[in-house]
Amino acid sequence: MKFECSRLVLGLFLEAIALCLIASFRFINIEATATLLIFNLFFFSLTVHLNGTLNRKLGVLALGNIMGLFWNFVLYYFAIAGVTFFGEPFNVFYAVSYPFLNFMWIVSFWSLSLTVLPKPKSTPAEVKP
Amino acid sequence: MIIEALEVVFLFSTALMMAYLIRHYVFTLTVLRRTKKARANVAADAKYEPTVSILIPARDEEQVIGRLLQRMTELTYPRNKLQVITIDDASSDSTRQIAEEFSKRYSFIEVLHRDKKNGGKGKASAMNSGLERSTGEIVLCFDADYYPQTDIVEKLVKEFVDPAVGAVQGRPVVLNEAQNVVTRLVTLERIGGYRVDQEARDNLGLIPQFGGTVGGFRRSVMEKLGGFDVSMLTEDTDLTFQVYLAGFKVRYVGDAECYEEAVDNLKAYWRQRHRWARGHMQVCFKHTSRVLRSKKLNTKEKIDGLLLLHIYFVPVLTLISFFVGLSLILSESSQLVNALWLFVPVSFYSLVGNFAPFFEIGIGAYLDGRTRIQWLIPLLLFAYWYNILICTKALLDIFAAKMFGKSQSDWAKTRHLGNGNHYIVN
Repeated sequence: MKFECSRLVLGLFLEAIALCLIASFRFINIEATATLLIFNLFFFSLTVHLNGTLNRKLGVLALGNIMGLFWNFVLYYFAIAGVTFFGEPFNVFYAVSYPFLNFMWIVSFWSLSLTVLPKPKSTPAEVKP
Repeated sequence: MIIEALEVVFLFSTALMMAYLIRHYVFTLTVLRRTKKARANVAADAKYEPTVSILIPARDEEQVIGRLLQRMTELTYPRNKLQVITIDDASSDSTRQIAEEFSKRYSFIEVLHRDKKNGGKGKASAMNSGLERSTGEIVLCFDADYYPQTDIVEKLVKEFVDPAVGAVQGRPVVLNEAQNVVTRLVTLERIGGYRVDQEARDNLGLIPQFGGTVGGFRRSVMEKLGGFDVSMLTEDTDLTFQVYLAGFKVRYVGDAECYEEAVDNLKAYWRQRHRWARGHMQVCFKHTSRVLRSKKLNTKEKIDGLLLLHIYFVPVLTLISFFVGLSLILSESSQLVNALWLFVPVSFYSLVGNFAPFFEIGIGAYLDGRTRIQWLIPLLLFAYWYNILICTKALLDIFAAKMFGKSQSDWAKTRHLGNGNHYIVN
């Protein structure tokens, strides 16, 4: 029973990730989908080697996708509002700043997500932490 | 025509940055995969106890030298095989008196005085004087602000059982991490640089770097090389390449930890990093063609060596790619430029000394069992911009020195105030 429940949770997380990718492509733009794909690829390839269950890692990854989707939604509507008020030049500003604004959430989320995974055994230090 | 030329520059610079990113992604994966396995090491169970000389160059280090010399008396290595030489490099404070007090009490501790005429010419010069006095088969070096583990000599020396090893490097760990944001950022740099970068380079058989402290070399190799090159600001990087070009290897020993006092303000950080950047660039100009022509280095060592030699140019390259990319986007560039622009920000979340990106630092901190310091990784963005300024200034200084014939070896010594003493558990 416990095993089945664990699989169900796993399936839900995978579904959430897939939905985020589809939603980003359908409702935002291809750049947002590419950003989420890059985040998923590097997050999964690195965290798979760390301590913690697969469920926990996929849970964090799903949370990252939801956050990324939300972030990109905000950016997208910010761009639409910007073009409405400032005209076409705002598109250039958006194109330039888009990757920089996106990496803000990727780096921040990556740093925080590592803290929720169980720590490896570390040797006691001779100095105060 | 101008647009096409700018596109070539942008493509070249981003391709190079991508090469570094892939390199560090491989490093991170290597360390993650090797962590669960025991490190393959020829010297794992070796009982090897050669005579060892420890050199401690010290110039105005009264706040920290006593702490290190006290630690030298607590080392577990047999004393009859140990020689500790404090090189008082024309100090104007009480460094000399403190060292002499220890020398009177312990016969294996010696003091070498350099007067104002001969001293103060930089670490390489001081180390060469110490080298002349030393008698050990293996020579280790510690900066005065360091605080090693009691069994560090055994850990470092056992690597020399392999005759191909010319030098070893241990791991510096920041002592005063909790002092402020600057020391915490330096801690992140050290974690990325040593816990992942050096470890991976050692595991992959590339070129681990001798860092000039918490490490050592075989005396016979050093004699063959003719001592440290005093014209180099970073004599450690220079030695790394000299060792490899002479057909020997450098090994990294991650469990040989030594605590260091990190710079604690932006001004000191600038001075230290400017010296490192300028020195590293000097070494790059000196060794690039030698590395390419060397028959002692294999292809993988050559590629890694070249990437390592050019590492302090990367921040300048990032700056160029940022402005060139920006101007291309403003002038409605091609789709390829737009696609590559997406990767430019990754570089801004990297370290400078080894170009370790944010994911490598995060994994290093995780493997060290650190949690709170990971929260500061996004701040690397500001540190990187600061380092771009430092490296650009260093490059301009080198060009200016070449053009006007000014000396390139002006030594900017880092002051140590003993802020780390508070953190040592006794």
